[in-house]
Order: sequence, then C-alpha cells, then structure tokens
Amino acid sequence: MAELFYVLLQIGIFVLISPLVSGVIKKVKAMTQKRKGAPVLQLYFDLTKLLKKQAVISDKASWIFKASPYVVFSTAIAASLLIPVTTFVVPGRFSGDIIMLVYLLALGRFFMTLSGLDTGSTFGGMGSSREVMISSLMEPSILVSVFTMGLIAKSTSVYDIMEMMQSGNVSLTHPVFIMIFLALLIITLAETSRIPVDDPATHLELTMVHEAMILEYSGRHLALMELGASIKQLVFITLIVNIFLPHDQLITYTGAMGIILSIAIYILKVVGFSVLMALAEVSTVKFRLFSVPNLAALSFMLSFLGFLQYFVFGR
Amino acid sequence: MENYLNLLSHLMLLSSFVLMANKRIRSYIKTFRMQSALIGTTAALIGFESFSSSGRMDVLVVSTVIIALKVIYIPNLLGSTLENIDLKVEKDFFLNIPILVLISCGIVVFSYFSISAVEGINTGIMNVQIVNSISMILMGILFMISRKNAIGQIVGFLVIENGLFVTAMFSTEGMPFIIDMGIFIDIITAVLIMGVMVFKINEKFESADTNKLKNLRG
Repeated sequence: MAELFYVLLQIGIFVLISPLVSGVIKKVKAMTQKRKGAPVLQLYFDLTKLLKKQAVISDKASWIFKASPYVVFSTAIAASLLIPVTTFVVPGRFSGDIIMLVYLLALGRFFMTLSGLDTGSTFGGMGSSREVMISSLMEPSILVSVFTMGLIAKSTSVYDIMEMMQSGNVSLTHPVFIMIFLALLIITLAETSRIPVDDPATHLELTMVHEAMILEYSGRHLALMELGASIKQLVFITLIVNIFLPHDQLITYTGAMGIILSIAIYILKVVGFSVLMALAEVSTVKFRLFSVPNLAALSFMLSFLGFLQYFVFGR
Repeated sequence: MENYLNLLSHLMLLSSFVLMANKRIRSYIKTFRMQSALIGTTAALIGFESFSSSGRMDVLVVSTVIIALKVIYIPNLLGSTLENIDLKVEKDFFLNIPILVLISCGIVVFSYFSISAVEGINTGIMNVQIVNSISMILMGILFMISRKNAIGQIVGFLVIENGLFVTAMFSTEGMPFIIDMGIFIDIITAVLIMGVMVFKINEKFESADTNKLKNLRG
C-alpha cells in the first residue's frame, strides 16, 4: 500500500512540477532581456488547452505516428520513477537502475525520431537525423559518468548513489564529483535541447532539432509530447540536484513531516537550478551543428577523467 | 587543504582541455588567463601554508608575481598583438578538435599510469597533482603542434611553462626564489620578442600562419 502511495506521489510531483521548470527558465530569460515574458504557469495553460483540442493526423501517417506520443510520455514517466525525489520516498527501488533509466529515455527518443520520419515531411527527417547524431554523441559520456558514480557507490541504483552522497563520508568538492557534475551538466543541456545544442524557442529550419520532430503534431498528441519532453528535462535536473546537492541528511523529522519538508527543499533546489540553467543559456550562443562533437568530446573527457581519477587513485 | 589543492590541480587540467577545444584566438588568451589565475591561487595557498608553518615569505611573493605577470600583463600583451592581426578564428587544424581532445585523454591516461607507478613520487606530497601537471605540460606541447597560428603557439609555450611551474611547486613546495624570478624574467623577454616576431611575420607574409613561413619570397 505504501509502495503504491509512493509511486503516485512521485508521478504526481514529476507531472505537476515539470512544466514549472520550463516556465521558470523562460521567465528568467525574458527578465534578462528586459522583457516581461509569459507567465510562469504558461505551459500549464497551453497543455490544458491542447488536451481539449482535436488532433489532426495526416492520412499518410502510420500507426507509429499515433503511438509515439504515448510511448514518449510513458517512458518519461517510467524513467521518473527510477529517480527518487527524496530518499524518504522510494518508488520501484528494486526494479530498475540507472542503466535502465538511460535506455528508457532512449526508447522514447527512438519513437520520437521514428514519428519525425513517419509523415515524410522534410523538417521531420532533418530533425530526426540531427537528434540521433546528438544523442549518439552524448551516450558514451552519460554511461561513463553514471558508471563512475555506480563504482563509487558500489551499486547502479540511483537510490543507493543518493544515499552514498548523503552519508557524509564523501566530500562534495572531491575532483571526481566536480568532473562528473560538469559532464552531467553538458549532457543535461544537450539532452533537454537547451541552447548550446538546440534552441527550444525557435522554429527556424536551420537550427531546430527537437521542434522539427514534433512539428506535425497537434492537439492532445502535442500536449503529451510537450509534457514528456519537460518530464525528461526534470528527470535530468533531479538526477543532478539530488546526487550532487544532497539535502536529506539535514532533515531530522521522520514520517509525513519529513517527506513534506524534503519535497519542499527539493522543489527549491529544482527552481534554483533552473534559474542557473537559464542564466547559462543567455550567456552562450547556439553552436553550429558541427561544433556539437566538440562539446560531446569535452563532456566525454570530463566523465572519463573522473573515472580515471577514481580508478587509479581511489577517493 | 589537500582536498582544495587536488581540486585546483584538476581545474587546471580541465582548463588545458578547454584550451584544446577552443577555436577562437581571443578565447585562447581568456582561457590562459583563467589557468594562470588558478595557478596563482594554488601558489597563494601553498605560500600561505609555508608562511604560517615556517615563516617563509617567498612563495607568497611568487604568487603575487604570477598574478601580476601571467594574469594581467602577458594576456594583455597578447591581446594587443592580436589587435594588429586580422585573423580571429583558427580554421584548419592538423587534426580536428574531437580527435585532439581524445588524444589529450590518451596523454592523461599515459601519465596517470606511468607516473603514478614511480615510487619516489608516491612518498612525495601528492601524486595526483604531479600527474595532472605533467599531463598539462604534454598537452601544452600537443596544443603547440596542433595550432598553425603564431599566437596559438605562444599560448602553447606559456601552457608548457605553467605546467613546469606547477610540477615544481607541487613536488617541492616551490623552487628557490631566485630561480623562479629568473624564469619569470625569461618568460617576459620571450613573450615580448615573440610578440614583435608575430607582428613582423604578419607584416611580411600578410598572415600570422606559421605554415606560410615555408614559402619563399623573392
């Protein structure tokens, strides 16, 4: 019974908070440009409106086009279950680890790229090929960094890694953690289609990657795609803030009070991190597509150095 | 203390990687400035400790000289040389950037496994830092041979020098004061002369590309 409650709580937090993250990022970006910007809750309004609308589907589209919004959304939800928001709430603890997480997201991405190709529009195919290129460049560095964390924690479960980071006998300024943190930061920017890699606010054909794939969608399908993308973004942010900025060891309460307090701190951390992400985004420019391998090489190098540091010298 | 020095030495290594992945000459200079600031901080930390434990002032003095020289003076000098040259972005490398970064990874692996096995170093202060600084030297050499632009090569030379300085500092808590000062005077002279040389090369060959030096001019 408690397990079911935890699962529902986890899904509820992810679904309810993830549009907020996009809203905060947009608002901060608007403020740095001296614009007023859309309200922070804009994505909620968009999603409710889109869910009410009818979906228009091309008559050339196959079943993949109709299925992939559901696949993208459900893989994002399943991935969110593997990353506990606090160590007090543990959904699905024994049923999946961090490798499962990476490949659940990859399954969603696979269907997304297929649906981009499915209708045969030029933009969709272009976006899909770019997405596949970026994700295949980023995959080595994701795996090396999560394996390094797994080696240190002696377990590949995110819960165990979080517990290890909270235990107080690791120092957060240790070079291994700094390197892995920076690598995961680059990965987050690339995977959630943020600015150095992809510009989420544009529909210019030269630059769009993620937007190009979902260009053909409308109505509730579009809503599911958007929600899935923002949940995926929250998954990566949660991974970073919960591993490298642990907070549960500070809470002495147990039971319901502990859970509430911990979730409140978690939301504060996520909002703070999204402000930082927005600031990072306004201070750089979008890279040329062929400069993305440089970024991927840098990210791989960071995770690899962290791994090597741990492997040769221990911590 | 040891933890912070470890972190600083890793950040220095990281800055050499960032330098390796850069393409713009202005960002070479900026990254070099950052790396030197890290080295200045490290020297200040070590100097402060040696001052409080044995009353030695020299490492502290060296750290202020580093900050004055390598964070402020030399980057400004390179920047003003850059003003006179029209080249801003390096276009063709001998190898492309991802491969260069991967080769640098290989260099780090090489020095991790070769130098951490040396016994004398293991009993020294901290071998992680020495390994990092030696890979910094090797990466400076790689940077120098991968760039065709003259200013890039000067920056590579300065990175090699930074690596040597850091290696000396981590293995012995700073070289004798007079030797450090001598090296700094050498660097100033070298950079001044190289700056003039770049200017002259640019004037004569209408480009700061050192590959063009092979062309004969009648």
